[in-house]
Amino acid sequence: MKGLLKYLSPFAPDQSGATSVLYDLEGITVICDAGGCTGNICGFDEPRWFEHQSAIFSAGLRDMDAILGRDDRLVDKLKDTAQKVHAKFAAVIGTPVPAVIATDYRALERMGEKRCQMPVIAIECTGTRLYDEGEEETYLALFRKFARKDVERDDKAVGVIGMTPLDISLTQGDTFLQEKLQKEGFERIYSYGMGSGLEEVKLAGSVQKNLVVAPAGLKPAKYMEKNFGIPYEVTYPFLGENFLNQLKQISGKKVLIVHQQVAANEIRENIRLSHKGEKMELNVGTWFMQPKDLKEEGDLVFKTEDGFIKHVEEEQYDVIIGDALLHRPLKEFKGTYISIPHFAVSGKLYDGR
Amino acid sequence: MKKEVYYIEAKELAECGKDQIPDELKSSKHLIYSSPATLSFNSPGAQGFGVKRAGLAIPGSVELLVAPGCCGRNTTMLSELGGYGERFFYLLMDDTDIVTGRHLNKISKAVKEVVDSLDMPPSAVMICITCVDALLGTDMERVCKKATDAVGIPVLPCYMYALTREGRVPPMTAVRKSVYSLLEKRKRVGTTVNLLGEFAPFFDDMELYEILRSAGVKKINEISRCKDFEEYMSMAEANFNLVLNPECRLAAEDIKKRLEIPSIELTRLYQIDKIKRQYELFAAALGIKIDDQKYYDQAKKAINAFTNAYPSTSFAIGECLNADTFELALALLRYGHQVKEIYGTVTPEKFVYIKKIAQLSPHTKIYTNLSPTMMYYDCSDSKVEMTIGMDANYYHPDAVNVSWNEERQPFGYCGLQHLFEQLKEAMDRRNV
Repeated sequence: MKGLLKYLSPFAPDQSGATSVLYDLEGITVICDAGGCTGNICGFDEPRWFEHQSAIFSAGLRDMDAILGRDDRLVDKLKDTAQKVHAKFAAVIGTPVPAVIATDYRALERMGEKRCQMPVIAIECTGTRLYDEGEEETYLALFRKFARKDVERDDKAVGVIGMTPLDISLTQGDTFLQEKLQKEGFERIYSYGMGSGLEEVKLAGSVQKNLVVAPAGLKPAKYMEKNFGIPYEVTYPFLGENFLNQLKQISGKKVLIVHQQVAANEIRENIRLSHKGEKMELNVGTWFMQPKDLKEEGDLVFKTEDGFIKHVEEEQYDVIIGDALLHRPLKEFKGTYISIPHFAVSGKLYDGR
Repeated sequence: MKKEVYYIEAKELAECGKDQIPDELKSSKHLIYSSPATLSFNSPGAQGFGVKRAGLAIPGSVELLVAPGCCGRNTTMLSELGGYGERFFYLLMDDTDIVTGRHLNKISKAVKEVVDSLDMPPSAVMICITCVDALLGTDMERVCKKATDAVGIPVLPCYMYALTREGRVPPMTAVRKSVYSLLEKRKRVGTTVNLLGEFAPFFDDMELYEILRSAGVKKINEISRCKDFEEYMSMAEANFNLVLNPECRLAAEDIKKRLEIPSIELTRLYQIDKIKRQYELFAAALGIKIDDQKYYDQAKKAINAFTNAYPSTSFAIGECLNADTFELALALLRYGHQVKEIYGTVTPEKFVYIKKIAQLSPHTKIYTNLSPTMMYYDCSDSKVEMTIGMDANYYHPDAVNVSWNEERQPFGYCGLQHLFEQLKEAMDRRNV
């Protein structure tokens, strides 16, 4: 049945993705909810919440706020907080409550900017969509609003788009990448979504190239290519040595890789490299977005739990690679299951090995 | 520019009075900071017994969360706890559902599919719904009745309406009513009593068990100790209900209305003289004699042992604990200790304690966990030796902490005794 989950639990929603991109940007992030969504984000989907602070707040909506559409109260609260908290901008993130009452986000942006005297962006999340959609929309909103046109090209700077804990299952991907990119001659790494702040977003138009590490980064990278002439590469440099060794040991003929598409593609390429000359069928399946540019023929998007179970039963895979939580519905699967965390699925971090 | 953390001293707050609570202390007047210290407050479904977990209190029941995916996200965490992985199911709503309410037509089918997928039929299916259905005005009773007819198993609503948290029937009050709503009228047994209020058992050595037994009670029911559905249903035989958490008042009223079982409410306290007084009033209400001297002495001994070893200890008290923050702070002050800081939710009802705290310790600082300014809290400004509560521990990581928020519930002299034993053990450990 569509929408029914009997073995899995829901994946990270769009509002978690949006908040994840904004986490390190030194702004005020207001989740437009009654409290539960913020608790879900901070308590579960944002592992950095327990490592370093970010000004994430709940709007604290109550029934009458929603019924009467009291946006002015929300703006009053935002102004009050802007006076009490250091912040360079504010972002309002949607949830199911404003989705039901059809909140006018553009009006919220205008009212907020006027009252708070600071830039305000609003991201129209609904809580029914998945995290990558929220990430994509947020990257686009940030680049549209803040990326300056008047910056010179900096050949020592590189941008990274799509690097959030939800996508790479690490909380310090920026330090992970630093060494590698420094070896390539880059001195400034602008990792939007992890480690870099609003100033780096403003300089996004100066970088030599962008690295796209998750599907949510592709559309924003294309936006930067079209409007700023910045080329992009798709790569996923976060697979650890132990895991890569595990891939070398794979002995089956038919393999299914389930992850976000960029990570899954990287895993597939590594298997191909380590099994040159062997005839193998390597399928990628994802529960998340699958841009045309990133897919190969035969790649799949899973929409329902039943569909996922049925596909695995019918295809008789020898090996499945994916988050451990996805193993749960596959009761009849008799092959080898190699687990690699995907934080947006299970909320588990990758230990980087 | 340094940003200031908002607090108010007890004396100043007492002078404001319950009708003039400063806006900074009212969560409806500012954005809410979901500090790592207070996640369990701000997300009722996330930690401990939130609505989702509480909804499974009926033995053998399963739960179907009907909501957008975001509402069930953190349940992944609960599913890892023993026994819950096989009891949670989800019917995810899409964009069209949240506008048109068409998901309501799918619930019976989803319930049937869930029930059919299980090796053993569940005793009941709880349908947990969230803010979306609160706004859509869903008649979930009717939807559940239809589902009950379809599967032949009781299907009950469970309202996780965060939007109504400060309303007349907050979610944790509503879920307490839901979990007792299956009880059907039975012949009452004079020697049976229900303890209502919590979703985990009280401490095994709680004196109330012995007190009730000495008064002739033979069977003491708690929903968390019911081994199966029949034992749960036998709660309808109770002669009276003891309400040990005010959030269970509505459930007790409903039981009285439907099953004609009366109730008596007792409060969890940490002031030893007030505990004694409460038992006197309880005895008078039941027309029995209660000899509580033994328990009083044991609790007193624990208080003295700690206080003699660590006199005038300076405390910070949080609100993520099994106590009323302000009552506990007052108790500690009355036992001769200092309370430097309190992190609590100030409501008019708390002024009975705040006024007394102000008399004993006018400069005690009262913070609200939910203020955006708590981002800037800096413990180096205060000298706190001990903290009680998870949130207080977050603010003072170097102080000796007793979290006092275990699932097993403290009550009465026993709770007081165990708290002071834990305080002493924690301080002793630091000194080793």
